[in-house]
Amino acid sequence: MSLSVPLRLEGISKRFGHVQALKPLTLDVRGGEMLALLGPSGCGKTTTLRIIAGFETPDEGSVLIGEKDITELPPNKRSLGMVFQNYCLFPHLTVGENVAFGLKMRGIPAADRAKRVRAMLELMRLGNFEERTIHQLSGGQQQRVALARSLVTDPSLLLLDEPLGALDKNLRERMQFELREIQRRLGITSILVTHDQEEALTMSDRVAVMEAGAIIQIGAPTEVYERPHSQFVSEFLGTANIFHAVVLRRVQQDMWAVRLEHGKAEMLIACAANLASGGAVKIAVRPERLKMDAPAGGGMPAMVRDVVFRGSYYAYELSIADQASPIFVYTQARKAIPADGEVTIDWSPESAILLADQAAP
Amino acid sequence: MTSTRTDAGATTVHPRARRARFRLARPSWTWPALAYLSVFFLLPLITNLVRSVSTGEASWSNPFVYYVKLITDRYYLGVLLETLFVSIVTTILCLLVSYPISYFMVRKAGRWNVVIVFFLVAPLLTSIIMRTFGWTVLAARRGLFNTWLMETHLLARPLDALNGPVIVYVALVHVLAPFMILSISAVLQTVDVRLEESARLLGAGRVSTFLRVTLPLSLDGITNGCTLVFVLTNGSFLTMLLLGGGTIKTLALLIYQQFNLTQDIGFAAAMGNILLIMALVCLLLQARLVRRRNVKQ
Amino acid sequence: MSNTTQHGRRRIRKARRIDWGGAALLLYVIAFLVFLVMPIIAVVAVSFSSASFIVFPMPGLSLRWYGRIIAYRPFIDSLIVSIEIAVCSATLGAFLGVPAVLWVARSPSRIASVVANLLLAPIAVPAIVLGFALLYLLSDLMLGISFLSLLIAHTVIAIPYVARTTFAVYRAQSPDLEEAAAVLGASRWQTLRHVTVPLIRPGIFAGGLFAVLISLDNLPLSFFFGNSDVNTLPVVMLSYMQNQFDPSIAAISTVQMLIALVTLAVVQALYGVDRLITT
Repeated sequence: MSLSVPLRLEGISKRFGHVQALKPLTLDVRGGEMLALLGPSGCGKTTTLRIIAGFETPDEGSVLIGEKDITELPPNKRSLGMVFQNYCLFPHLTVGENVAFGLKMRGIPAADRAKRVRAMLELMRLGNFEERTIHQLSGGQQQRVALARSLVTDPSLLLLDEPLGALDKNLRERMQFELREIQRRLGITSILVTHDQEEALTMSDRVAVMEAGAIIQIGAPTEVYERPHSQFVSEFLGTANIFHAVVLRRVQQDMWAVRLEHGKAEMLIACAANLASGGAVKIAVRPERLKMDAPAGGGMPAMVRDVVFRGSYYAYELSIADQASPIFVYTQARKAIPADGEVTIDWSPESAILLADQAAP
Repeated sequence: MTSTRTDAGATTVHPRARRARFRLARPSWTWPALAYLSVFFLLPLITNLVRSVSTGEASWSNPFVYYVKLITDRYYLGVLLETLFVSIVTTILCLLVSYPISYFMVRKAGRWNVVIVFFLVAPLLTSIIMRTFGWTVLAARRGLFNTWLMETHLLARPLDALNGPVIVYVALVHVLAPFMILSISAVLQTVDVRLEESARLLGAGRVSTFLRVTLPLSLDGITNGCTLVFVLTNGSFLTMLLLGGGTIKTLALLIYQQFNLTQDIGFAAAMGNILLIMALVCLLLQARLVRRRNVKQ
Repeated sequence: MSNTTQHGRRRIRKARRIDWGGAALLLYVIAFLVFLVMPIIAVVAVSFSSASFIVFPMPGLSLRWYGRIIAYRPFIDSLIVSIEIAVCSATLGAFLGVPAVLWVARSPSRIASVVANLLLAPIAVPAIVLGFALLYLLSDLMLGISFLSLLIAHTVIAIPYVARTTFAVYRAQSPDLEEAAAVLGASRWQTLRHVTVPLIRPGIFAGGLFAVLISLDNLPLSFFFGNSDVNTLPVVMLSYMQNQFDPSIAAISTVQMLIALVTLAVVQALYGVDRLITT
């Protein structure tokens, strides 16, 4: 089947008119890995994908698949597979003809084509669909045909451009797992572009968070989620409560006491680095890591403003002293707290993430 | 590139970069058409222009003599004004006749829409000569109308409807109304019914809803239709020739006759250019009006 | 407008309360449709008249005028010329116009919209002016009055019709389809052949059909290029009408209409006209 070929982007940059869509970017994707490019619209993730595909030429830098420099090659010579946002199935061809298209363009004889198409459709659990037209397919089936079409030619790389955006939530979750399973089974190096952090975290081996044309953090999903380097990353990958504080003193090896700017509560954070006493720091804590307790407990005092049931958890909105932005706490069970009730919020020192607010290397 | 960061939410704002599309066609694919039209469309019009200011009576020392003649000579000025008059009247008549049809097609017809469209388009399958001839048959002294009206004793003597202006207008409307109808209904279709329904809910009567909601929103269709009919009427001469009997003399008819009779090509060229200018002015107006309402064609 | 013509009233029953405004509108529409069809039916009727001039009621029925068509050579000759010119000019117009449209439709530049306007411009020019101007140019080019001149002139008019409908259809197509084809390994020509053209074919066809119909009926343009050898039907019919006024005009018109109807029926069977009607 397909070899697990690594991809390398070396110093890729792209400018559109006055806009620098991509600052010089270098990225190594390991063979067989699924890497997610995650970021808001305009961050450059789609531009990166299109440069890899060959629809844009970078102003500088090169694209290498394996050892081969493909920067100057047109898209139809790059031997890639791509699943588009709207699938882009050819409406005038049947499912079988769609899947066979890439093979036909390469001059593979009809008998071989038929065999490979059938095998691929079986893999996608679309065995009986060969003669159907595109319009007879559901969203999920169309997606699988698009995937089949891109994989049947044995590409060295698979590109996915927000492939699940058009599906409803349940289907999307199912397809996330299916896609991942197929990718793993075939061992094909893949790049996934998405703005949905959940999708990136679920499906990828590594996540590269992009902003303003640069990768600001790259790492395994858990690492990026739990250890964001900057406020942007922490907020993009989920709600984060941001606290400003001043360092007081070291309490233990890797444990520091800080005083929060708002409310002046003293809290503990775990941090391996050497912090300067008196220095200002920014701390992020995930809502599900905050604990609410009775007013007499340890931690910072807060007042409950609102509670919303979100299906799988309760979201509490609280305010702390004179801090403008609210604090969010997620709990599974509803707490017996009266409206406008007072509580204390605490966190375990390991839950506090110290934000460096620097771009990742 | 601007990027703003706030503590409350780290969002960066970029102007959306224009993504260059991967294009199938190369610019060179337009060259055959451009070359062809340059030689066989632009060039003739340009030489025509040159001819109108340099042949016959016109020359480099007195280039605009024909144009002056057309605008100052009473006869020719009359023809110019008549051309405009006929075009304007026909356009207005078409509009009045067509709008209700369009409205019916879009709002009320439902399944019958296809049938109506068929009836509108089918006459286009027949030649204009056939349709004009048909009016001759109907309106002649011993034609269908007269025979029938006399038989039912509504008329004592046959009406000589032919060779008069009325039948010309009737025939023009007959030919051009379908264009107006299709133009209006194309735009009327885009007017959401729910807008009209909201107006009714808010208390507007049927007429008021029509005047305040439907009509303004379909203005683009009206503009398109009117421009089309105006330009087509400008250029038509067959109807006037066959049915008018000399009572209606428009510029296009004049060119046709001039060409048959005289060899004054400079003059004919000048007349053609005036006709052309009228068409261009119309189109410019249309472009201006439609663009102002921000509609992409 | 007389409501009392004899073509019957179709009662479309609506199960609602009586809507006088709506009923009036319906009557108006029916009357209008009758109005549209009347002259055509009158001509067809007259073509079977045995009298040599227009008179009602018709003295008798006869097919002599259809015979006259065949006897009077210019009718059939010019009909054949008309059909040839129509089909050839539409085809040539498609070959010239479609590639240009493919570029224009996907290009956001100013030049593209200038080119687009140029492609559509010939319809805006009054045909009589264009015919006149083109005649002199072609004489200067030693092409004079001939089949080739006619073809050249009609192609100029055909291009905008084909371009317009093709443009609309192509614009509506997602550009991603071509990108998808490219990623799958298709070269430009392969994409064109296997993806683009099959999908825009209805647009090309609709425009071509329109161009054929316009060309068949085009008098102002053809008028300047006629001579005794090469002439189109409308020109022949016009000169006949101005000299002799007998029902053979009705007969040839009916024949022409039938040809157009048959063509349309064939097209409907192959493609479906409903797709072609909507612009």
